Order: sequence, then structure tokens, then C-alpha cells
Amino acid sequence: MILTQNLTKRYGKTLAVNNLNLNIERGVIFGLVGENGAGKTTALSMLATLTLPSSGRAYVCGHEVTREPQAVRRSIGYMPDSFGVYDDLTVIEYLRFFAQCYGVERRVISRRAEELLERVRLADKREDYVNHLSRGMQQRLEVARCLMHDPDVLILDEPSSGLDPKSRLEMRSVLAGLRDLGKTVIVSTHILNELAEVADEVGILLRGELVAVAAVQVMVQHSSAYRTIVIDGRDLGDRFMKALMGDPHVAEARPLAPGWEILYAGTLAQQAELLSRLVSEGFAITQFREQPTDIEQLFLRLAAIQEGVVT
Amino acid sequence: MKLNLNPLLLKEFRQRMRTVRAPLVITAYLFGMSVLTVFLLYENVQGQLYLVQPTKSQQVFALVSLLQMVVVAFLTPAFASGAVSGERERKTLAVLLTTPVGPFGILFGKVVSSSALLVLLVVLTLPVYSLVFLYGGAVPAQVASVLGFQLVTIVVISTVCVLFSTVALRSTWSTVFAYGSVGLMTVIFGAIGYGLKSLYEQNPIDYSALVWSHFFYALDPLYVEAAFLGVVSAGPHVWMAFVEFYAAVIAILLIPSLWRLRPQWFSWLPFVSGTEKQYQ
Repeated sequence: MILTQNLTKRYGKTLAVNNLNLNIERGVIFGLVGENGAGKTTALSMLATLTLPSSGRAYVCGHEVTREPQAVRRSIGYMPDSFGVYDDLTVIEYLRFFAQCYGVERRVISRRAEELLERVRLADKREDYVNHLSRGMQQRLEVARCLMHDPDVLILDEPSSGLDPKSRLEMRSVLAGLRDLGKTVIVSTHILNELAEVADEVGILLRGELVAVAAVQVMVQHSSAYRTIVIDGRDLGDRFMKALMGDPHVAEARPLAPGWEILYAGTLAQQAELLSRLVSEGFAITQFREQPTDIEQLFLRLAAIQEGVVT
Repeated sequence: MKLNLNPLLLKEFRQRMRTVRAPLVITAYLFGMSVLTVFLLYENVQGQLYLVQPTKSQQVFALVSLLQMVVVAFLTPAFASGAVSGERERKTLAVLLTTPVGPFGILFGKVVSSSALLVLLVVLTLPVYSLVFLYGGAVPAQVASVLGFQLVTIVVISTVCVLFSTVALRSTWSTVFAYGSVGLMTVIFGAIGYGLKSLYEQNPIDYSALVWSHFFYALDPLYVEAAFLGVVSAGPHVWMAFVEFYAAVIAILLIPSLWRLRPQWFSWLPFVSGTEKQYQ
């Protein structure tokens, strides 16, 4: 349904997206995860025909984005990362306007608008002015707007950005509901955990490159194999780092101020052995504690050190 | 036959007529024009109906028409200058560009919706004009041509303003360009025409000064309307030069406007690549 082949975009000397290869099947919810500036928006913007690729190809529903942009536009619903709404239009008028832009038949528009407002839980707001809705409601309305012409593909760029925790949960529930509609969805976020319940597959984008693609469950399992441990003490210099890296289960060690943070792939018993060895080698350890690992950060770090790339 | 109206047009009509500004402008304008016309007509008849002077009535008609042209010319940018730049600033343009409406549909919808209120103003002043007929002096054909030209001028100014609002990324700049254009059309071109004509009168051998004077006069909507009213002498088809010139200006402005909306269409030009983001 969505296929990209070495899709690349350059802005002058900056490489925003580098050789992106994606193959998203029909009905799959695909999460594109990456830090700000990783190239998510540029990648989605190319799929939405707003940005011309510098090289490579992208197909949406079998239509090449540069050669058949009009056909692509008809088959997608695009929600940009940063969007505005029109003043002085009610919710129902807003949806009707966009449906008319796509040439949806008049008799279909009202029925579909009502259904979608139910789906995004805005049915009681149908006569409210769009600009009077909260940010969370506007973002849910945008999802409904994307669906008004019944596209096969939804391209949602950071649909939960800037929302409070309650609104994030509501948005997550709306996104999960898209699965029932059988739509192919590509959704970007910089928080991987948000996609755990929603997406089927996740791709990690790092500085414009897709460094990992996997089923969400695989990624979650993979990440659970790693723990982040913070170690502090006196005189933990280069000798300490050599001692750390001597342990085969230490995937990465980086200095903090003060102390060290390591990414550890061993068992709890092996972890205890590491501590014991460090003490026996004469290091004055004052702190050795595990801290929660952010899945996304973990994968970005793993990708960055070219270890644990999931395929 | 199914009538497919531009959806942007319908939306714009709805939005514009919901604001306080639209009815306020219409009411204030009609009130002002009615008071002025009645005052000028009263000046003509001086409270008696035995000796009505049609020539004076004609002067009233000319004065009201020219005044209307000035007001309409300077009101149009207020409705059109932020048409596309406003969409860009509100961050609604990118979504609109992913719909099948496309750049031409967007520009068409914006031009027509921006012109509509002004056209409505002109049409609503027809009853005021009809007062002039009571005392003679202006024939219906002349009134029709004057109003027709006013409508053309509204569309021309609207189009120029919408195109500038597409080219300029910020509404502040598009407003400056829009009022600059109206100033150029109504004041500067007329002044240049007058200057060149004066030059010719001082030196009748310099015939080119007269030709250029006619050219610049033809670009001034006030002068062309004055020609329709018989206030100034001009060629019978002076309005054609006006239409041709501004059609060329619009065609030229259309190119950078389309570039701003769909830079992809111009990707073969070296300086365009990689610039989409800031325009949309």
C-alpha cells in the first residue's frame, strides 16, 4: 500500500531523509519514530505530495507520488504536525468543506460526518465553532477530517503532539479505533511508547535514516532485554571504562556528570557479578542502580552504536 | 446537470458573511453614499422642481461614480490582501494543498470570494444611482458601462492582491504590496500621464510624450472611468488597453504564485529545489 525505494530528500547540504525504504502492507498501522529533526515530517510530506523527493521513489496505493500526485492526493488523508483551523466554521461545516474539496457526494457527506464525529467522540460538538475547541478536540477532529473522503491511506504526523496526558489517551484510543476501519496508517511520533498499543510495526528514524523496522511486540521484547544502570563512585576514569567494556554484556557505556550510565544486556546474576568484579578491582562504588529505560531512547542508542538493529 | 461550485468559494462566503465586518462595511458604505447623493441632488434642485438642470445631475453622477471607484479600489485590498498568506499563517494551506482543489482552484476561490463583497457593494448602490435618473443627465447605457468597469476593476485589484498574498509569505508584506499596487494604479499612473501630457503641451513636437501619456492614463482606473463618464476625452477603447495591461500583469504574477503553491511544478529550475516547506 505504501512503498518507498531509496527515498531521499536534501535541503541544500542537509540530508533530511536518506535512502528510506519502506513497505507497508494494506491495513497495517505503521509507526515512524524518531527524535525531532530525524526526518519524519519530511518523509511524510513526500508521501503526501507536498515535498518533492530529491531522489528515489515513493508509491501510495500504487501511484507514484511525483508522477501521479493527484491520484495520491485522492487516496490519502493527511494530518500535518502543525496545523490550524478555520475561524467561524462549525465542526460539521468544517468536515463538510473538506469532503466537498474531495468531491464527496452531498448525500454521503452528512451521514459520514455524523459517523466520524461519533468515532472521534465529538458528536456533541457538531455545532460548535472549530476555533473554540480545545487542542485535543481539534486534533481528533483532524483525524475525522482525514477520513471524510474515505481514503485508503492515512498519513498522520505527530497526532498527539502538544497534548496533555488525558488528551493523549483519547487520541491513542481514536488511533486504535482506526484498525477497525481497515485503513493503512502511517503515524509519526517521537515517543515510541505511544505506539505500543496502536501500531503493528514500528520503524526508527535516526538522522534521516531508517535504522530499525520491526513488529511492535518484537521491539518491546527486544528492548526488555536491556537495562540502563547508573554507576557512581570515586575516581571512575578511563581505567573504569576499560573495566566496564571488558564485560561482554555491556552494550554501551557513557560518562555522566558524575558517574557512568551503561546499557546492560545480562541477567540480574551477571549484573551482580559485574558489581562484585568492579569492587574487587578496587573501584570505590557509591551507587549502582537500575533506572527505567525509555524504549525509544534505547533503540536510538542501540541504533547509534550499530548494535541491536532489528530486522 | 450537477453544479460543482468551488468548495473554497462557499466556505469563504460563509466565513466572510459571519463576521461583523461585512455587514458593517455594507451599511456604512450605503449610508455614506446615500447621504452624499441626496446632498448633491439637493444642491442641484435647491428645493424646487421647476428648473432642474440635467447637466448638474450628470455632474452628480460623475462625482458619485468616481468616488465609488476610489472607495472600492482602496477597500478591495482589505478583503483580498491576506487571502493566501493568511492561510499560510494559520497553517491551513498545507492541508488544502493535499486536496484535489489544487493551486488554480485555491486562487480562483480566493479571487471570487474577495471580489464578492465589493461586487455586492457596487450592486447595492444601484438604487442610489437610480435617484440620478429622476433628474436626467445620465443614460442607462452609461450607467451600465460605468458599473461594468467598476466590477472589472474590482476583479483586477482582487486578483493582483490575491496573487501578491500568494507570493509574499507574510500578510504584512502582501498588504503593503496590495496597497502599493492600488496607489500605483490610481495615483502614480495618473500623475505620470498628467506629467507627460504637460510635457507634450509645452513641447508639441515631442509626440512620444503624448503617446506615453495616453498609455499611462489608460492604466489608471479613475481616468478610464472618467472617460466613460465623458469627463475627460480619451479614445473609445481606452478600457481595452486597461484590460490588456492588467491581464498581462496577472499572467506574470501567476507564475511566482504557482511557484509558491506548488514548487514541485518548477523543480526543474535550479533555485527552487528544496524550498517547499517555507511556502506551504
